[in-house]
Amino acid sequence: MTAILQALASGLALGAIYGLIALGFNITYATTKTFNFGQGAFLVPGSLVGVSLVLLSVGKPHFGNLSPAEMTFMAYTLATVASVVVVGLIGIALYYCAIKPFVGAAGLNWVLSTIGFGIILQNTALAIWGPASIAVPSPLGSGVYRIAGAGIRPHEVLIAAVAIAVMVGLDIVLRKTRLGKALRAVAFNPQAASIVGINVERIVIIAFVISSALAGLAGILIAPVTTASVFIGLGVALKAFSAAIVGGLTNPRGCMAGGFLLGIIEALVGLWRAEFREIAIFLLIIIVLVIRPAGLFGTKTVEKI
Amino acid sequence: MNTISRRTFAALMASAAVFAGPALAQQGDIKIGYNADQSASGAAELGLSGRYGFEAAIEDINAKGGVLGRKLVAVIRDDAAAPPKSIQNMNELIDNEKVAAVVGPTNSGNALAWLHIPQQKKVPVISHVATATDMTARYAKESQNYIFRVSMVDREQLALLSAYAVKASKDKKIAIIADTTGYGQSATKDLLEILALHGVTPVGVEKFGPKDTDMTSQLAKLKAAGADMVISGSLADATAQVLKSMEKMDYYPGLLSTWGSINSPLINIAGPKLAEKTIFAASTTADANPKATALSKRLLAKYPNMPAFVSAAQGYDAVMLIAAAITKAGSTDGEKVAAALEDLGAVDGIIKTYNKPYSKANHEALGVADFHLAQWKDGVVVKLDNAVVKSITAADLKR
Repeated sequence: MTAILQALASGLALGAIYGLIALGFNITYATTKTFNFGQGAFLVPGSLVGVSLVLLSVGKPHFGNLSPAEMTFMAYTLATVASVVVVGLIGIALYYCAIKPFVGAAGLNWVLSTIGFGIILQNTALAIWGPASIAVPSPLGSGVYRIAGAGIRPHEVLIAAVAIAVMVGLDIVLRKTRLGKALRAVAFNPQAASIVGINVERIVIIAFVISSALAGLAGILIAPVTTASVFIGLGVALKAFSAAIVGGLTNPRGCMAGGFLLGIIEALVGLWRAEFREIAIFLLIIIVLVIRPAGLFGTKTVEKI
Repeated sequence: MNTISRRTFAALMASAAVFAGPALAQQGDIKIGYNADQSASGAAELGLSGRYGFEAAIEDINAKGGVLGRKLVAVIRDDAAAPPKSIQNMNELIDNEKVAAVVGPTNSGNALAWLHIPQQKKVPVISHVATATDMTARYAKESQNYIFRVSMVDREQLALLSAYAVKASKDKKIAIIADTTGYGQSATKDLLEILALHGVTPVGVEKFGPKDTDMTSQLAKLKAAGADMVISGSLADATAQVLKSMEKMDYYPGLLSTWGSINSPLINIAGPKLAEKTIFAASTTADANPKATALSKRLLAKYPNMPAFVSAAQGYDAVMLIAAAITKAGSTDGEKVAAALEDLGAVDGIIKTYNKPYSKANHEALGVADFHLAQWKDGVVVKLDNAVVKSITAADLKR
């Protein structure tokens, strides 16, 4: 029982991270029918920019190790804001370099261009930060909360709380605000949206900024768990992509649910045989795709000929 | 240490960051190559500290007039843990720099990628960090094997850990946890064989992915099986995550690990207090003998952030052995130097005085009898000397 509770606690934080990134896939897919295949690389500046800013603020070189005392909650909050802004801006560059030339055109050029953009980003980070990883202390310390024998770290709770808050916030923005309505209008029918006076390109750029910013946020949130390095993003983003597919790429709530589902399945399968985790997850994806091609919560799209 | 080959494109970057030798070589100087990861993998710190020891030994030899009346010159290369870069460095050191011998590498995988080069070109190599058991064995049957080592050998350090685990466990409930890399899995295989020699079947054998950060589910199974000694077959970063998961579960069996735990990722990821909870194998520590203390002080004065003294001592001793062999051979000819290495008398090193360290059949200067157990205490590595360690006899060191 304790073991299952422990697995759930451990799966929660990673699931939240998958959900955040999956939501980023949803937002751009809904508006442009494209998404960033290089999203994993966007976690890299997310974590490293934030950590380096904290390092520089305490007078250390941009690459090094932080002592727990130097990682105050204030420093971490500011680092998070900076990471989100920087990676959001990179999202604009992504749109102009890798999406705009190909959007609406037939073929899969945007797949390769987004992968390429991610590789450029990752290698730029490699040139700046080098290949070694930076251990990042959590601003909430290294203690452990105990619930019925299972341990969970304050930072894992923070990850889940921030992720859920951001998801709920975005959900409200998408459903209630003018911006959200514009986003949904573009997603529904770009031509019609343009006729009623919505600046479609502006909306699409905003979608990519939000999507990238979510990856940046995921990067800085996860850094105290995984350490910050140039190599953190790929595995996480692949799981997040799977979460989006399982939950339904067209449904933001489905993407979030998919993230948590994957995180928890991963932890529970690990209880049985750790080496079967990936097998279980990708089997699940195949089964879901066979039974519900649009994902668990996705809406069926009818292709009109 | 095993290679971390997932860092393939680290090679691209590394090619732009070739280190220049500290001193320009003059005609007649003897060049010694150094090819080791000093920047990329979880074991990079061993390569970096190894370089400090390597350079210190060359300084000391030159202060006493060099070898054969000629100055020794270090030619330093960083392979960033990437096998292609390591191969390129090796060719360059041998063909362009014409080094008399090479010390390195950090990662066993890199060594396995280029062992054939020095072997074919007849340049002696002393591995001062890489630990893969079969490295020195590959060319053992050739008329001359050019691969030597003065480092920990995986099988030998696992023998020490197993002996400790068997003594320390109350009901012989020993478990193994290792990552799925080549390093982790070959450690698991060695451990299973060694424990079998002790007549012990582990109560659990668990694995985890190389980038996993949560091993609570694996540890839950070991806890349920009643394991009170767990042997970790991973590098520092993974062992640190194992410790963090143990902390989450409030389950603290004795955790034994290989010398990778000497690297600072253990401290940085697990935190200094938690890091003290693993006992690991080491060939020497700064407090092991007066010469070690003196070298450690001298290097720390120059490099206050020197991470791992143990590989500095091994790097130092590697140069001493090469210098003694060149002196004995009266030449820098690789064939003669390799033969001289196999026929050395007593050579003073930091770890010990090597008495006939190598022979035709034995290319390991250090064995399980030279190793001891160590632990982090208040941010420094200290020798472990408890009742269990004292009770280990030579007969317990089954391998």
